[in-house]
Amino acid sequence: MTANALKVCAAAIVVATTFGLASASADEIVIGASLPLSGPLAGFGSFQQWGYKRAVDEVNKAGGIEVNGKKEMVKLIIRDDKTDPNATASNTETLLSRDGAVAMLGSCTPALVNAGALVAERAKKPLVTGCDPLEAFKSVRNWKWVWDIFFDEPELANAELKAVQDWGAKTNMKLAIWHDNGPDGQVVGGKLWPEVAKSFGYEVVQNAEFPVDNTQFTSIIGEAKSKDADVVLVDAITPQAIAIRKQMAAEGYTPKVLNIEKGAEPVQFAEALGKLSDGVLVGGYWDPSFPYPAAADLSKAFESETKLSSSQHIADSYAAAQVLLDAIVTAGSTDAGKINAALAKTNKTYVVGPVKFDENHTAKLPIVALQWQGGKTVIVWPKSEKTGDFLFPLP
Amino acid sequence: MKREKIAPAPREAAVILVAFAVLWFAPAFIGEYGLQLGFRTLIYLTLAEGWNLMAGSAGLVSLGTSCFVGLGAYVAYGLLNGLDLPLPAALVVCALSGAALAALVSPALFRLRGLYFTVGTLALAELLRLIMINVSAFGGATGFFLKNDPPALPILFRYALAVAVIAALAATLCVRTRASVILRSVRDDEDAAAQMGVRPFRVKLAAFMLASALAAMAGAVQAVKLGAIEPYGMFGLQWSIDVLTMVIIGGVGARLGPLVGALFVIALGEALADYPEAHIAIAGVILIVLIRFAPRGIVGLAAALGRAARGRALA
Amino acid sequence: MLALSVASSSIVSGVLLGGMLALAALGLSIVLGVMRLVNLAHGDFLLVGAYAGFFFFTFTGVDPLLGLPVIALFVAALAIPVYRYLLQPLAERGAEAQMMTMFAISIILENVFVLAFSADTRSIGVSYAALPLTLGPVTVPLVYVIGFAISLVAILAVHWLIARTAFGRDLRASAADAEAAATIGVDVNRVRMLTFALGVACAGIGGTLIGTAFQFSPSSGGAYLLNSLAIVVLGGLGNVLGTLFGGLALGALQSVGGLALGDGYRDLVGMAIFLLVLAFRPEGFARGRR
Repeated sequence: MTANALKVCAAAIVVATTFGLASASADEIVIGASLPLSGPLAGFGSFQQWGYKRAVDEVNKAGGIEVNGKKEMVKLIIRDDKTDPNATASNTETLLSRDGAVAMLGSCTPALVNAGALVAERAKKPLVTGCDPLEAFKSVRNWKWVWDIFFDEPELANAELKAVQDWGAKTNMKLAIWHDNGPDGQVVGGKLWPEVAKSFGYEVVQNAEFPVDNTQFTSIIGEAKSKDADVVLVDAITPQAIAIRKQMAAEGYTPKVLNIEKGAEPVQFAEALGKLSDGVLVGGYWDPSFPYPAAADLSKAFESETKLSSSQHIADSYAAAQVLLDAIVTAGSTDAGKINAALAKTNKTYVVGPVKFDENHTAKLPIVALQWQGGKTVIVWPKSEKTGDFLFPLP
Repeated sequence: MKREKIAPAPREAAVILVAFAVLWFAPAFIGEYGLQLGFRTLIYLTLAEGWNLMAGSAGLVSLGTSCFVGLGAYVAYGLLNGLDLPLPAALVVCALSGAALAALVSPALFRLRGLYFTVGTLALAELLRLIMINVSAFGGATGFFLKNDPPALPILFRYALAVAVIAALAATLCVRTRASVILRSVRDDEDAAAQMGVRPFRVKLAAFMLASALAAMAGAVQAVKLGAIEPYGMFGLQWSIDVLTMVIIGGVGARLGPLVGALFVIALGEALADYPEAHIAIAGVILIVLIRFAPRGIVGLAAALGRAARGRALA
Repeated sequence: MLALSVASSSIVSGVLLGGMLALAALGLSIVLGVMRLVNLAHGDFLLVGAYAGFFFFTFTGVDPLLGLPVIALFVAALAIPVYRYLLQPLAERGAEAQMMTMFAISIILENVFVLAFSADTRSIGVSYAALPLTLGPVTVPLVYVIGFAISLVAILAVHWLIARTAFGRDLRASAADAEAAATIGVDVNRVRMLTFALGVACAGIGGTLIGTAFQFSPSSGGAYLLNSLAIVVLGGLGNVLGTLFGGLALGALQSVGGLALGDGYRDLVGMAIFLLVLAFRPEGFARGRR
């Protein structure tokens, strides 16, 4: 027993020494990011990783950032949080303590962002995220060190129905809402959409909720079909979005207007569904056709570098990283307080549009209504910015 | 049959308490990073000790750890947010609720033997997770946020330490006393044990309730540290799988199995952190290799090597 | 109160879907019955079949359902080295060692999928994948009917294989009592290897069916593992026809649950039934042991 105990103590000392070795290097500015590179949200993680890396690579190619009078390279350290908030929290901790990160870039979706943001907030280090809906972000607390660039949920509700109205599309004014029970699903589908629908004069004939990873939508679809709803609003992530569209067709239900938030954003939605994706509306906070610096090239660069299909998330992550890097440049220092103060003063146009944080630490990206047509997204609202005509009814 | 040299309970308990006293002052001389890793190791250790008790001593291989981790987390938030209870009191209630849930499901679960029991615990964990997601009264997928800021890391570390020490002492009590004989008799042959006057149901229930209480406390402390909980993170299967992996790597049934396993898994995680894209595959390969060549876990491997070395020395 | 057509369509869809999932579950059942192994990588072998079907369709343009025999052989070929080099050496040890090895395979496969194919959600886009089939008041997806038919054929084929051939006899002997089987000359090791390959192949073609009717991504495997476990327990371990009935029953009950409580509760109803069956009749409902 004693011999074993001694062996364990020796091993523990070895392990503790390994743990204690910090790997921070003196002449680099370290920025940390914990991203879902495996698990159900691995799709988001890969887009974010690309966006963050691109921004950092560009800065390094231009010679780095000058802090305290010396030009230093930026080192981006990424850890995989396996779509587990516990891992996001511990990754954020070790990035700050072991790797000496001066600031963090956030994960994606409220649960993961919150886990990392709470750590950063308590450690008093700045964190910028481009992947957390604003109302969900604001509902957690009054952030002092965490900043969010994304869209505002109430606008999502408005854009699509305004599009239908502005194009004068005629429906029987019966509307069905299907939403997942994730944080923004419950807010957007459970609270916001019913109110907005009523304000536009629709009768909400169905409001159905399902778990985020649901695979069968037979009775939800059946009910909407039997109630003869011409307009269907859906809030679900991509696998469920694909399933819903496919199962609707397989059950012979084709409403006149179909809007799928979140899930219909990335190109893989259109690729998985082919012709079935035509006519589907989705709210967009970014599109390669936007008139902002480097917007058109960003998508092309992503697709040629990774040979994967693109998504709006390459833009919000790229912008979030640039905002953080610009703040470090402005601060001219790696001091957390100075960087945080510089973030508060952000006021510049990036690939997603103008970014300026309000008193809640949020920068809103306005929503346009996009519609899938022939495998590409077309802006159909506001009409002043349209790049194509509204396809109605759903083919 | 190999006769283990069993150290008496008091000596082992003394070692644990000394370690407790020493580590209590760790925040003074270990940096931030060390404390963070230490915290995670202690939480894992608590879960692993409980699991090892169930599996190694009583023969109950459970995949339901996540059930009780989540329960502890949500009960803790209810108490801290709703009743402003101080954390120690909340932890006691969490432990009791973990034990209560275990007692509640045991009549159904213990009808199952062996493989079916394992599958049953998995189904239970999944069922509870689905209920938490669907029923909005429990926060749905949004979950809950801690009203007040959690205590600083050194204090949380000490809470984790206290809970881990309780787990270790409980394990010592079960494994280094006569209780271990009773436990092992139920593990090895339940029917024979019953014939000898042991009440298998009660023994299994005791082990299950103890492990569940420990898991609930660990879940509560982890939840307080996070500051935000939701069903996928606190009721997720990764808890059940991580704990199983840890103890198998350390050595099921070995007294030091949980500690060695927890340290190994944490250290491996840190070592592989620099390979975010392939770390899971690498971990899988390491796991396969370990299972193949270290059937009794690292502790078993060390013991076998020790015996071989002694054998050579004598030759 | 929902219209009759909605309710009846839902239930029929559920039954058809259950039949399709039964094929996937069959793989788990056989492996569990003969090798006493909970194949934790079951869901991921299902995905191997789904990806195989996807790329088969993408590169040859041939309907993957026609290519099922090829896909089955491909997946079985992958299973053999896994058994030979990873499972066979652990045969004498307890169930945990093999189970954990399969778990390790599961996480390795998931990582490989992400690295090789990206985390994108895929769907096998055959032309009939989203067509409805209407018979009176009942409307079901056409692909469910096709998938059900294929599944039925495959399950009956496996049943015939196990009940009527020499290999099947050896398989049943090894499952009942491996030592006794060895003494009468059965090469238990070879039987186990082929059984594992058969089980994994069933999972694989089940995966191709699922990939055609639905969609999949690297992390979809876990949900199908749980689903398959429920079906296996309902039908009885190692009982081929029982698995079919288990699938049909679970599909119907989940549909009823979905109609009554909402589609979100389907999985919950499934788990609750699973637990009830485990608690009161763990050997399943089908009569007879095989």
